[in-house]
Amino acid sequence: MVVLAPLVGAVLTPIVARRDRRIAQWWALGIMTVTSVAAVALMVRVTEEGPFSYYLGGWVPPIGIEFRFDEVSAFIGIVCLVGWLAILYSFRYTEWLRGLEKPRIPYYYTLLLLNLAGLIGISITGDLFNFFVFLEIISLSGYALVAVSGERIAEMAAFKYLLIGAVSSLLVLLAIGLIYALTGSLNMADISARLGGAATRPLGVAIGAFTVGFMVKAALFPLHIWLPDAHAIAPSPVSAVLSGLVVKVGIIGMLRVYQIVYGSGSMNLDGLNQVLMWLGAISIIIGAFFAIFQDDIKMMLAYSTISNIGYIVMGLGLASQYGLIGASIHVFNHALIKATLFLGAGCLIYRTGKRTLTELAGVGRSMPWTAAAMSIGAISIVGIPPTAGFLCKWYIALGAVQAGQTFFAFALVFGALFIFIYYIRMVNAFYFRPPADPEILAVKEAPPSMLVPVLLLAALCLIMGVLGRLPLTFIEPAVTRLLSGMGGG
Amino acid sequence: MEVQDIRVVLAPAVSLLCAALVFASAERTFWRRFFSLSAAAIKLLIIMSMLPGSLRGVVYVYDLVQFTPGVGLAFRADALGMFFAAVSATLWLFTTIYAIGYMEGEPHRRRFFGFFALCVSTTVGVSFAENLLTLFLFYETLTICTYPLVIHDETPEAMKAGRKYLAYTLTGGAFVLLGSVIVYGLTGTMTLSQPGILSLESGRVTLAALFVCLIAGFGVKAAIMPLHSWLPSAMVAPTPVSALLHAVAVVKVGAFGILRVIYNIYGVELLDELGFCDYLAVLAAFTIIAASVIAIFQDNFKRRLAFSTISQLSYIVLGASLLTPYGATAAVVHLANQAFAKITMFFVAGSIQRKTGKTTVHELAGIGYRMPYTMAAFTVAALSFVGVPLFAGFVTKWYLSLGGLQAEKWWVVLVMLVSSLLNAVYWLPIVYAAFFKAPADAVVEVHESNWTLLVPTLVCAAYVIVFGITVTVPGMPFSLANAAVEFVFGM
Repeated sequence: MVVLAPLVGAVLTPIVARRDRRIAQWWALGIMTVTSVAAVALMVRVTEEGPFSYYLGGWVPPIGIEFRFDEVSAFIGIVCLVGWLAILYSFRYTEWLRGLEKPRIPYYYTLLLLNLAGLIGISITGDLFNFFVFLEIISLSGYALVAVSGERIAEMAAFKYLLIGAVSSLLVLLAIGLIYALTGSLNMADISARLGGAATRPLGVAIGAFTVGFMVKAALFPLHIWLPDAHAIAPSPVSAVLSGLVVKVGIIGMLRVYQIVYGSGSMNLDGLNQVLMWLGAISIIIGAFFAIFQDDIKMMLAYSTISNIGYIVMGLGLASQYGLIGASIHVFNHALIKATLFLGAGCLIYRTGKRTLTELAGVGRSMPWTAAAMSIGAISIVGIPPTAGFLCKWYIALGAVQAGQTFFAFALVFGALFIFIYYIRMVNAFYFRPPADPEILAVKEAPPSMLVPVLLLAALCLIMGVLGRLPLTFIEPAVTRLLSGMGGG
Repeated sequence: MEVQDIRVVLAPAVSLLCAALVFASAERTFWRRFFSLSAAAIKLLIIMSMLPGSLRGVVYVYDLVQFTPGVGLAFRADALGMFFAAVSATLWLFTTIYAIGYMEGEPHRRRFFGFFALCVSTTVGVSFAENLLTLFLFYETLTICTYPLVIHDETPEAMKAGRKYLAYTLTGGAFVLLGSVIVYGLTGTMTLSQPGILSLESGRVTLAALFVCLIAGFGVKAAIMPLHSWLPSAMVAPTPVSALLHAVAVVKVGAFGILRVIYNIYGVELLDELGFCDYLAVLAAFTIIAASVIAIFQDNFKRRLAFSTISQLSYIVLGASLLTPYGATAAVVHLANQAFAKITMFFVAGSIQRKTGKTTVHELAGIGYRMPYTMAAFTVAALSFVGVPLFAGFVTKWYLSLGGLQAEKWWVVLVMLVSSLLNAVYWLPIVYAAFFKAPADAVVEVHESNWTLLVPTLVCAAYVIVFGITVTVPGMPFSLANAAVEFVFGM
């Protein structure tokens, strides 16, 4: 199973490569390659046959742990892609990190692999408690990875992340406990079947706790305060994983809860949807608003993640076919785009040692490939065609119209304009501003092991814009199933 | 008759490839010129090779990629699209020649020519767009590609103009996107191949809101007042950019979008019933007069040209919003007439600036002695704007007035008359000063600009005359415009 490879691999990393960091990095990359191959095989199978399950240890649910691979689980595809590239990228980046002593580098790969294993596990588990375990794996390794950078406020950022993250985990645990009390089961499919006759009030509390907990993980306004520091301070490959993938855990959690509740038809979630739509819209605006005032490039990217989560949550809240499709595509595409941007920013910081836009002025002349890739990322995230971001904007706006909420289409489209304001500052700084420091013209382009991931991701941003149908093969059946459940309830 | 033909994709693709090659050619001047010129020529050949078919009524289509069923990147060269594409491709060739001469010795030429080619690629993409989504895709890309051209000089003033440009046009783009989404939500299709896809069932209020969305969105680029103020600011760009982009590509894409909205999204019959176009016509008429009045008081040559552009663009909008066949004819042919006359003027302004450093109108006394050919070309363009018969501008005014009478709006004729008068007030004094006033400097000798600057100027001026006298000759652009109008009105 895909989840075992990185999990076991992660635990073994320090043992295999106690002394030599080179072995550690190739080991990590190898593990990730194996995982990716397995993931692709699974994804092919799910497109051909539909969802299927694997029972751990042969125990049949609801007693045993079920791993269920359905279309939502196709998230692991992007996890593997970004994870693989982030590991490759880390080869050079970790050597340079101040906070990371050389002998400790294997532990860094351990944490990164653990994090990725958690991400894969959480998308394929069919068991709520198991879900929680993976959630904790992700969170704990995330805290440590943030602290690893050795920046001045790294510990502080990690601590803030830890504190808020722990509270949210508790909420999720509480919700799981409530659900268990209501149904006597932890298996998602089983819960869904048993939930029919459950009392509404405790279920409402459980859903509320789930929502709040997951919204913290997803950094939705007003629960976003932990994110900017943590994502900006973390080492760039980690930022890419955190921003591109880890925040999506909250979204996946929401999707699973929706699946359960809609499947059971026991509750009407229209009220929640209303709240989500509004919070999504506010997140878009607030994220963009704060990003405008950032001079630190990674800080800016971190706030932009909040805006983009706003897109996704708005799409979820709209609960119309196109809205959900848009939200799901954005889970994929945002991971691609944000990874491009964070890894690109990492290249710039690696070569120049500078991280504010003012100081980076003129860098487009000396690092043309990185700057070009980041510009593509910027255009993509604003949603200008023909890039990946446009499709999401298109679908979510269409979903808003479909749901009869034209106002939200309006908010979305103009929120994107707001976002453009600060990305154009970045592009201007790269290309059209005189260098603040003449030395910046002398820096070299990033080394290949860092540049290739960035360029590959940027190319994908463009390709996904044109071949936007590709993720739809996974998304459409899932959305249809979800909506048919909703129709039943 | 519809024919699958890859040429509609090749036409925009040629310039896209050209842009890639220009970026790849680093600082090698020869290759950059070679790629730019040959791409311009090939593109023109491709489009011209489709022209005979188009005149016979053949529509070339090609579906490239499907996003979702019913919405995808699809190209379709109908008469209106062919007309616009032929105009932009022709002008691209001339502007490229001109730009090579004009930009000699300037920094960042690779960036300049690369984005220049991208802009033309997107303009042709807009004209061949089969559906609103494809159109929007190229419309937005055009905005992004022109930004580096507008701020080419990288001065604080240019950066400020660039910001303003982006703020206006991207907001416009957002409105277009919103409109497109609503269209799709209402009809489940976005095709531009029908004479109207909306129907009254959608409700008056929705249709009104949608109309405002789409027209305001495209109106930003078409510089309808009060959405025009980015255009004069953007004149800080190098002259070939102003010429091609701000007299032809960018602004015409806006006007073209409005034509598509009126003729292919709403349809003439529906709009006639709804009556929204009356408001648009009044707005356009106001823009025509007001922009002309402002132009009179501009001393900077390029700014005067900018306000003249604003005024001229509204001819197109006015013609389209009359909803009569003659009005439509005027709107379509003015896409070409305005383009050729205005680009001539921009070429002249650029040549004078390069040769003598003069940028204001009052310095032009006696310039006709020094640059007689250049100023002769200017005179042709000026007479065309005034609407003297035998020049292209007259054709527009004639049909526009007829269209106004057809729509029983007699005031359109009045607007045409006043506008001609105002055009005379701000163009003819320049002609007079150039040829009949004594030059300021003592030495008078003929000192024309290079052939790279002069030839495109003269050829464009020649076109203005040709368009003016060949209206009834079959096979000329005018017949293509007629074909477009006949389709729209179901004649």
